[in-house]
Amino acid sequence: MAKKLIYALGVLTLLIGLWGFYDRLVFGEQHVNYGSAVVWGLWVAMYFFFGGVAVGSFLVASLDYLFEIKAFEGYGKPALWTSLVTLAAAMASIGLDLGHMERIWKAFVQFNPHSGIIEDVWGYTIFGVLALIALILALQGQKGTTLKIVMVLGFIAALYVAGAPGKLLGNNATRPYWHMALLPLQFLFMALTSGAAMMLLVQAFLSPKEPAPLATLVLRVALIVLLILSAYSTWAFFSQSLYGNIPSLIASVKQLTSGQYAGLFWGLEIGLGTLLPLVLLFVPDLTKNKLAGGLIGLCVLVGNAVARYLIVVPGLNVSVLKNIETAHIGRGLTLSYSPSTIEWAVVSGLVGIILLALALGTDYLPLYKKEA
Amino acid sequence: MSQETTGLLEKYASEVFAGLVAPALEGMEISAAPADDLLAKEDVLVRMERELKRALEKPASERRWVMVIDLRKCIGCHACTVACVAENKLPPGVVYRPVLEEEFGTYPNVTMKFLPRPCMQCENSPCTEVCPVNATYHNEEGIVVVDYEQCIGCRACIAACPYGARTFDFGETYTEQLPVIFDGVLIGSKTAAAYEHASQEYGQAWKREGRHESPVGNVRKCHFCLHRIKDGILPACVTTCIGRATFFGDANDPDSLVSELISKPNVIRLKEELGTEPRVYYIV
Repeated sequence: MAKKLIYALGVLTLLIGLWGFYDRLVFGEQHVNYGSAVVWGLWVAMYFFFGGVAVGSFLVASLDYLFEIKAFEGYGKPALWTSLVTLAAAMASIGLDLGHMERIWKAFVQFNPHSGIIEDVWGYTIFGVLALIALILALQGQKGTTLKIVMVLGFIAALYVAGAPGKLLGNNATRPYWHMALLPLQFLFMALTSGAAMMLLVQAFLSPKEPAPLATLVLRVALIVLLILSAYSTWAFFSQSLYGNIPSLIASVKQLTSGQYAGLFWGLEIGLGTLLPLVLLFVPDLTKNKLAGGLIGLCVLVGNAVARYLIVVPGLNVSVLKNIETAHIGRGLTLSYSPSTIEWAVVSGLVGIILLALALGTDYLPLYKKEA
Repeated sequence: MSQETTGLLEKYASEVFAGLVAPALEGMEISAAPADDLLAKEDVLVRMERELKRALEKPASERRWVMVIDLRKCIGCHACTVACVAENKLPPGVVYRPVLEEEFGTYPNVTMKFLPRPCMQCENSPCTEVCPVNATYHNEEGIVVVDYEQCIGCRACIAACPYGARTFDFGETYTEQLPVIFDGVLIGSKTAAAYEHASQEYGQAWKREGRHESPVGNVRKCHFCLHRIKDGILPACVTTCIGRATFFGDANDPDSLVSELISKPNVIRLKEELGTEPRVYYIV
């Protein structure tokens, strides 16, 4: 029943997405709402989010194949598959955001080694290749030294790319909201959180097996710790600027605490994505129910996605030069941004692809077959 | 209307202007300007053109192009913005040289401040550092340029620029929406479209056709009109400035006008504390 729901949701969201993909590929970036002031919007936020889920899922797989924790036996293959699928969605999201995605090969051949984007591109590529090799080896039933070496390398790559988006944004010294040493760490915590949450979701809605009680307990405790760490890093991140109280430095943070994004921040990121799951995770009977666990995972993922959006957009919608936004009128020169329907449609399509790929993987790949 | 008045207007303006203005001056006493007035001196444009040609005789790496903007003279007419748009055929949303405006005080003590903002052509440019594919870089004269065929359109350089000097080409045009009369014939759109798609930036003809052809999907920025400079012509914003508030030249030439101007203590650069070393100076 749950899997049918995933299939239905996947088809529906993908159908909406097809319109978005068509529009983006045929009309270019004419119908997007990001511009020359807010240069990155929903698609970049979703790139960070899906990339974080991919990394987090890989780290869950490492509990099985690298650290060989008994409780997580059998979690490796579904986690690796989830990692690859969400990584593909992340790459599609950022690819569609590029003005000339057909030139991405230049990032491998004619690259600038000082660029944070290059570190992301290479990091995710190496990570993706290692995750793919690990999955192939795991599907072949190999659990020997080769898989272990791949998992070690993948683990290092995963840790690196988990924080890399924070470094990419933090490089921009002219954007005070991002230019914080804590940002890569915050991205790391969020990636780990989203990986654990995604596993709760997968085992609730897709896994044909009953979840292992010990693994569920570990995931639950891990999620509690990670949610607290994420919330703490958010507080630390904000407090640095808020306590300094320099108006130009706190403009972005204030948009979240009491400005235009207060609803999203307090309602979705903190309320739905952090506090509610924390409360529910402390109710033991509730998390024994796998559906309830899945819904908790869903809440965390929604909060996590909103958190990425609230890092990307408020960092950009503040003026770098007084009155520049009113000096010339034209497309994309405004500081206000909300995603266009095409942007939402593309994200819907990516979610659809993830849901369908996860469901199809469950049905047609030996993800839950026990290794010899 | 006296013969003398018409003659004077024709001398200092133009025949058309004289014909338009002279009737309004009927009966007014007008005499010739003092011999040492500004028009009797050499126009700064003439001097800058001469210095530009002198600089072009040197190897490119020995030139240091700078722009100096006298904020005391800027009247906020936006002629430079418009000239730049026309020269580079900039589409909607792409602007290289906006003029920032700020109002001070309360009535009756009110004043306006205008700040033309071209690309600062920073020597330590944050935008070039973040480009993943080296599509934006300093050319041999030190001007920050964009290779449209190399740019992947990631817009990281826009986010990195402390001066907001870069904009993205989303593929829009001014002429696309021109009204249809009947039988599918568009009023004047052919002529207008041909004009709009005739950019000569970087000395190359950019057709800018379709939704995906560069510079559509690229980041664009002020390049001090390099295509004009190489032919010994000053940037469009300089020649169009009605108040002669914008100066351009080679700062490595000690006898140039810009060298004289930037040696004064009343010269500032924007966000100097960042250490980006802009090549645009403001006289305040």
